[in-house]
Amino acid sequence: MLSLAIAVRFLRRSLAQSILIAAGIAIGIGVQVFLGSLIISLQADLVDQTIGGRSQVTVRAATDGEPLVYTQDVRDAIAGQPGITTQVPVREFSAILRVGEQTTPLQFTAGEVDQLDTIYGLSERAVAGTPRLSGAQVVIGKDLAEELGIEPGRRATLILPDGQTELVAVTALVDLGSSAANSALGFASSLLGSSALDFGTDEYSAVQTQVEDVFDSVAVAEGLRQQDALKGLSVSEWQSENEDLLSALQAQSSSSYTIQFFVLLAVALGIASTLAISAVQKTRQIGILKAMGMRDRQSGRIFFWQAAVLGVAGATTGVLVGIGLILAFSAAGATFTITPQWGFTALSFAVGVGVALLSSLIPSRRTSKLDPIEVIQGG
Amino acid sequence: MAEVLLRAEELGKTYGTVAPTVALRDVSFNLEAGEFVSIIGQSGSGKSTLLNLIGLLDTPTTGHVYYNGHDAGAARRPQRAAMRNDLIGFVFQFHHLLPEFTVLENVIMPGRIAGAHVATLRSRAEEVLALLGLEGLEGKNANALSGGQKQRVAIARALLNRPALVLADEPTGNLDTTNTKAVYQLFRDLNQQLGTAFLIVTHDRRVAQQTDRILEVQDGRLLQDVRNSYLESPAAPAAV
Repeated sequence: MLSLAIAVRFLRRSLAQSILIAAGIAIGIGVQVFLGSLIISLQADLVDQTIGGRSQVTVRAATDGEPLVYTQDVRDAIAGQPGITTQVPVREFSAILRVGEQTTPLQFTAGEVDQLDTIYGLSERAVAGTPRLSGAQVVIGKDLAEELGIEPGRRATLILPDGQTELVAVTALVDLGSSAANSALGFASSLLGSSALDFGTDEYSAVQTQVEDVFDSVAVAEGLRQQDALKGLSVSEWQSENEDLLSALQAQSSSSYTIQFFVLLAVALGIASTLAISAVQKTRQIGILKAMGMRDRQSGRIFFWQAAVLGVAGATTGVLVGIGLILAFSAAGATFTITPQWGFTALSFAVGVGVALLSSLIPSRRTSKLDPIEVIQGG
Repeated sequence: MAEVLLRAEELGKTYGTVAPTVALRDVSFNLEAGEFVSIIGQSGSGKSTLLNLIGLLDTPTTGHVYYNGHDAGAARRPQRAAMRNDLIGFVFQFHHLLPEFTVLENVIMPGRIAGAHVATLRSRAEEVLALLGLEGLEGKNANALSGGQKQRVAIARALLNRPALVLADEPTGNLDTTNTKAVYQLFRDLNQQLGTAFLIVTHDRRVAQQTDRILEVQDGRLLQDVRNSYLESPAAPAAV
């Protein structure tokens, strides 16, 4: 590999210049890795906080208020849809919680606690007591509990929409991530839901599901709509109900891509200009090598290899710089964790090397076309 | 009779199209293997142009250059590069060593371009360096040598691929008298020991008189092509 050996020797001969350009690539790729990981983690955090603890694709009866009959066929159809990770049949009802003289309206989701856990993470979110939902048991948000001065183990009265009352026990207080949710949402046993809605044993308000990739919800919902067992049912998904959140995420992605594009462009221009200067600086040497019989393609490869060495060295350092920035950001007490995105990091590395190689095209072509006589005649 | 190594046939070179300058016209001659020949002429006479055309560094406007009967003009760029590497060794006035490399690395460069292994080339380079009295300088950077040493390294480099022909363009132009004599003596020795043909461009008639044959170029034309034995004689052969 004569071209590589010559490229390395040229780079070593202009060591300061080589280090500067590799540092330029390193900073560019470092920013790329950091910014990419930051944005991806930020979005993942935002998505998780917003829709992580709720139904992402929901199957209901076509008519509002009518029960969905949760047959084995329905269960199997949902389970068989690729991308679905969990399905939970629930009964949803409104009721008024009364403690002493204080009353508060609440929106209840009723179901089995171990199933509700797979979507709402009640056990993980419990701040007091242990979530249990059997018979006349409920779980409420911590803000409401504070407001009412209630603790796990206390009893309260639930006034159902038809005016009937139920004496219920609060088994746990949960933190659902926002004050609004903690004040307005509650969880009840499936039995309580059935009694509140007057539903039979296989009748539910909805089947709530979560999907593997939250951004696949549209496709998953469409898949469910095609299932014979779900014909006549209504399928909704979170994206169509959260357009504001989606456009915010997209705007964030777009601004991130714009920044990354210009960082890469700056890196590419930096490498291209340095290699172009190097090609001019080394014109004499290339001419001599060609006079000795070096072929055009062989001489053109010298700058390809220079770009490759600079690209690999710069991008490797850049990845380390990016990871260093992520660690420093985390150590500085960020409100959320930046997870290094290894796939994205590998992509950034490849892009860094690719941009460097692309930048070598002009000097490589220029070198290929050089006639040795141009150098020899000039002395 | 020795075989014809190089045949120049009606070579011409014109620079520019708007205001054309004719640097060389209708130059023809043969060079046999192992010949020791000089090209003389005043500055601007076209002798370096002729050398560049013969060395396949430049392309003629008219005429042909044949090596061992093959028309170099019909060859594509990679083939011409391969012919330069294989058949010709160059020694330039400004030595043109590569400052990024050591003496040994400079010397083996034509071999590496040809694709030979460094280990094979090393022993051959050491032989050539010894022949030129450059032992012990292998690891030195080419820039750290004196002018005479640099030119000898350039000669060693020209000889590495054992070319049939060495083209030298004012090889002693930057050297003092002692070094100049030493270099021409070296050329002569190498010519006799290795059988390599030499074609040396010089403006110095005294240098030319040490070669076996002189091609004199004037105003882009080959004025005379004479065997050195006739030089002393006033009845030298007529101009070509």
